[in-house]
Amino acid sequence: MMTDTTNILVAEGLHKSYGRGAAAVHALRGVDLRVGRGQFVAVMGPSGCGKSTLLHVVGLMTPPDAGRIVLDGRQVGCAAGERNALRRTHVGLIFQRFNLLGELSAADNVAVSLRVRGRAMDGQAERLFEALGVAHVMRRKPSQMSIGEQQRVAVVRALAHRPALLLADEPTGNLDSANSEALLELLRRVNRQDGQTIVMITHSATAAAAADRIVHMKDGRIVDAPR
Amino acid sequence: MVPLPVANLMHHKVRSVFSAAGIGLGVCMVVTLGGLARGTLFERAERWESVGADLIILPRGWGSSATARSGIGLSDRYAAKVAAEHADIVQRVVPVFAWPIRLAGQDQQAGGIDPRDWPVLSGGRKLTAGRLFDPDGVFSRWLEGRLLAPAADGAAEQEITAAELGDPNHDGLELVIDERLARVGGWRVGQTVEAANHRWRIVGIAPQGVMLRVFLPRRTAQFLFAGGDIGHSTLMFVKLRGGVDVGPAARRLQRATGQDVVPLDAFRGMLVDQFGILFVYVYVVNGVALAIAFLFVMITLYTMVLQRTREVAILRSCGASGWFLVRAVLGESLLLTGAGTAAGIGLSFAAAAGIEAARPLLTVSITWKWLGVAAAAAAAGAALSALYPAWRATRIDVAEALTLE
Repeated sequence: MMTDTTNILVAEGLHKSYGRGAAAVHALRGVDLRVGRGQFVAVMGPSGCGKSTLLHVVGLMTPPDAGRIVLDGRQVGCAAGERNALRRTHVGLIFQRFNLLGELSAADNVAVSLRVRGRAMDGQAERLFEALGVAHVMRRKPSQMSIGEQQRVAVVRALAHRPALLLADEPTGNLDSANSEALLELLRRVNRQDGQTIVMITHSATAAAAADRIVHMKDGRIVDAPR
Repeated sequence: MVPLPVANLMHHKVRSVFSAAGIGLGVCMVVTLGGLARGTLFERAERWESVGADLIILPRGWGSSATARSGIGLSDRYAAKVAAEHADIVQRVVPVFAWPIRLAGQDQQAGGIDPRDWPVLSGGRKLTAGRLFDPDGVFSRWLEGRLLAPAADGAAEQEITAAELGDPNHDGLELVIDERLARVGGWRVGQTVEAANHRWRIVGIAPQGVMLRVFLPRRTAQFLFAGGDIGHSTLMFVKLRGGVDVGPAARRLQRATGQDVVPLDAFRGMLVDQFGILFVYVYVVNGVALAIAFLFVMITLYTMVLQRTREVAILRSCGASGWFLVRAVLGESLLLTGAGTAAGIGLSFAAAAGIEAARPLLTVSITWKWLGVAAAAAAAGAALSALYPAWRATRIDVAEALTLE
């Protein structure tokens, strides 16, 4: 296989079903998606169209039933350990509900994600805290932070290990419009300044407008994927 | 950063405290119950080992039960026979008539002894107060005269009243007790105590650690507790001459007497044999206590994993390996156990002090060895009880737990 240097993510013929027999839900029905290095891609579609499943699969959290994924030039195998290792090094995740660990401070949330990756808190993490305007909450626990601050700390956590691919699942879903705008501006900034590749799942056309490219999904298929 | 297990435990303080307390109780039971069984048993063994003799002659067939038996065992003729016929190896034979006497609310094994044998039986220790009973043998001679000399009608005299026994001219109702019993009973030299249907005068206090807690004249013990038979004792100690090997001497005396002859240092083993069932009981109770404690920990950790499915999934989404999660759960388990063990050890010392205050004649022996055993058992239990919750943590489906859409 030739190494694809232009695309950070290549997904071909992805199929994924949940359940069996008549109750089976075909979440992905042959999805093809290519994401170029430094692209900011928004994936839109109605509820149940398979956006989240696509994110789970390309985020290497769950294996596809069929199809192949190439991440940063490496074909992803079926072994859970391999997928886990690649996720650890290549993927950063932002969630709608932020998913910070409640018992840890903001700094420790980032530190533990780095420790999981065999790294210690470094200048990159501290720069991100500064750059995203949350340096002042580093010692606070999530319950002591505002919603916007929590989401920005989640972004710091997702970017602290310099992932090749940042996956964001409805990152503005729990934010008010001001915080949403600030977060989208922030994502645009890391995309443009640092060349960070981003795939963002969203319902919001406003949020999707921040991306370079919008992919539409329907019934487990990509119906419109301009390059 | 604060280690994840520490942060988790601190985040759920009440649950952590209860879990550690459960382990603490288990550890306390292991240390205290075991310490009580060993302490009480081995304290007795140490007291017997303090006797300045080398061998014990026991009635044939008594075996380990000799440690719990009393009353008539051996004819006193063996004492004279062994001393006379084996004088080349035997320095002294000391007969003892043992009988339980209730004092200070519990049965005490009392030793009927001849005062001249005190140096051997006490291992050379002196009384801390008072004197020995019948120091000049007046009472012994009087009783022997009454019981062994034929009366006018040719029969030996058997009817001796308590008043005659306690006649101040040859007082046979005298006791020597050890310091610990004196402390428990609040007794001093010169006081009288009621026991075995007689009133006894305490004439001496022996240092703590002597063979028995209560001593009385052997003739009195024989007369009162052997139906007037002053020709038998319970057992005999043998002090060998210097340089004589204990093993061959024991075998020679066993052949000569036909009785069981055992080295003094076998007494501890005999005690353990006799009361081994006590240890079985203690170990079973301890095992159950620890199992319950760690079941409690396992349920706590399991509940914690279930409650924190989302947190585990977050770590998984960051790429945490199964081993990372296992270490986190194991770390929490070991932290809980460490805190519980420390609390349990502290509680054990408090329990030991409480037991010894409430029942001063009991001994709770807390040793480094058994503290180590309890800590090791706790650590092993912690590891085992963390296994299943840790495995469950590694099986959490990240995508499902995070419900991304």
